[in-house]
Amino acid sequence: MNAPSMALLRAFSPVWRAESLPWVARGCQWQQKAPFSSTEQRMAKKGRGEKKDMRITLIRYHLQHPLTPRPLRFSRNRALRHWTIHRAWRLYQTQLRLNRQLELERQYNSMAAACEALRLTDNHGLTAEDRMKLGGGGGAGDEAAAAGAEGREMGRLYRIAMLKDGVWEGAPIEYARIQTESPPREGWNHAWTR
Amino acid sequence: MNAGQKSARRIAASNGHLPRDTICTSCRHRLSHQPRRHAATAAAAAEEQLPPPPQQAMQHIPPVTAKAPAKAYRLLASPVLSRPPLLTRELTSFEKAYYLYQKRLNERLAQPFSRYFYYKKGTPGDVEWKRKAKARQTAARDIGVYNAYGREGWNDEVLYGDQTAEPENQVDALIRDAEGKNIVDDQPVGDADKDGEAVTGDATVGEGQRRELQKIEVERPMPRMTEADRANDVRSLSRKLDRSLYLLVKNKEGRWRFPEDRVYGRENLHQAAERILIQSCGINMNTWIVGNHPVGHHAYTYALPILSKLAANKLVPTSAAARRGEEGEEREEFGEKAFFMKARIMAGQADVSKNEYGHSEFQWLAKEEVKKAVTPGYWSSVRNMLAER
Repeated sequence: MNAPSMALLRAFSPVWRAESLPWVARGCQWQQKAPFSSTEQRMAKKGRGEKKDMRITLIRYHLQHPLTPRPLRFSRNRALRHWTIHRAWRLYQTQLRLNRQLELERQYNSMAAACEALRLTDNHGLTAEDRMKLGGGGGAGDEAAAAGAEGREMGRLYRIAMLKDGVWEGAPIEYARIQTESPPREGWNHAWTR
Repeated sequence: MNAGQKSARRIAASNGHLPRDTICTSCRHRLSHQPRRHAATAAAAAEEQLPPPPQQAMQHIPPVTAKAPAKAYRLLASPVLSRPPLLTRELTSFEKAYYLYQKRLNERLAQPFSRYFYYKKGTPGDVEWKRKAKARQTAARDIGVYNAYGREGWNDEVLYGDQTAEPENQVDALIRDAEGKNIVDDQPVGDADKDGEAVTGDATVGEGQRRELQKIEVERPMPRMTEADRANDVRSLSRKLDRSLYLLVKNKEGRWRFPEDRVYGRENLHQAAERILIQSCGINMNTWIVGNHPVGHHAYTYALPILSKLAANKLVPTSAAARRGEEGEEREEFGEKAFFMKARIMAGQADVSKNEYGHSEFQWLAKEEVKKAVTPGYWSSVRNMLAER
């Protein structure tokens, strides 16, 4: 038989407690001796500091200017005009954003509808609904199709289409080309051959 | 469904939360949640619930010897090959005016150009800066002649009809500046103003031209309007560079469609799209099929069912292998379902001369031109997946 564990006793009994302070506060027992500074001591002494780079001094000098910050003062009419321009711009941006969002929605819905249609078709291109509509009596092929429809043939293309493996592997680097303000000098490369 | 499952279901259905001691934790977890069903089999499962299961019936009926053609819809894959816009869009007049307005406001707020930070005193750069700054009065080159620090600093708005905000003028100003000229023409200081002293030998030619020692030619950007735009060459890919162009082909019936073909054998839509691009428009296109799933679909029912025999495609090995089985059989096709796959072209050009589908022509069209080219029914199923720009 094992001896009973002392772990619980050690946790609760004052007899077994070895140290009175938690380990995080242990550092407080000693007096702080080092000066509280992150730079070297000799830098604090007069005239002994490191020399500043001249370029830094220049940049700091030129960042200041007596004429800044400049107030933008508008007359009453000008302020109203400015406000109108600002509101018009906000409205225009909202309209652009909405249009963009609607376009994305349209594209997404089209994609979702296509995937749904693909999910419901079997290898004969028929959905269960189509099959009901066209009626039975198709013959042996029809029965085989019906059997297949409930097996793995139903939605086979859909299952493959939903796989995301290696979607980005074939992404060509040309796809990263951003739009520019003027066309390339030689135009579209029509003569490209494989 | 065996008896054990049935009883478990009954337990699950009888009260919402199961008592702890009847079953084990994992079983309880599984039963209290909706059994997971794959989305692809949902329709098949729904089908299973409505009519009595046909498997038992099929076991009793002997196989029919007389084969009627199977009923089917033609399953088509159709790559929608597009050329993305290469140019940014044209700015509206409001946007141009607003950007100029904001630039000039910024000029009012910014601190003045610190000349000696950029040019050392007395250097050629400093001299050139002094000469240019005298004419344009500010560091910015694309905001016209405006000095935010002068007496007319308040007058930062341009008048109606001012052309400063036009991008062409801004490009022009930048180029003039790069060539060492002033962004605006000086008042001509010809010989007439120099008290008859012959400086250039021409009374109208200014002093700026006289002091031009070497001519600096800065390349101008290409015009946004290309030759293909002017000729409206719908087969060129240099046309409408700020729009997406879509590849349409004229098929055997003389209708403009996206290239399309049957899905053969065991191939999937992605492979089919790649194959169709090659078989219809040649291999000299650098294309990329963007995803594995379709971005749109088009279903169409024929007026009369078409009896067609499935043949093998030489690029699809599974279609040849399956010829003795399912392929090669006759099918009664009541309509067609086309699934559109998004594709991009990076370089190259379509070539329908050696295509296998009887396409006679091709066109690269923007969205609104696609609408004019295709039939209304086709357009209604295609319009939502095409990008506006």
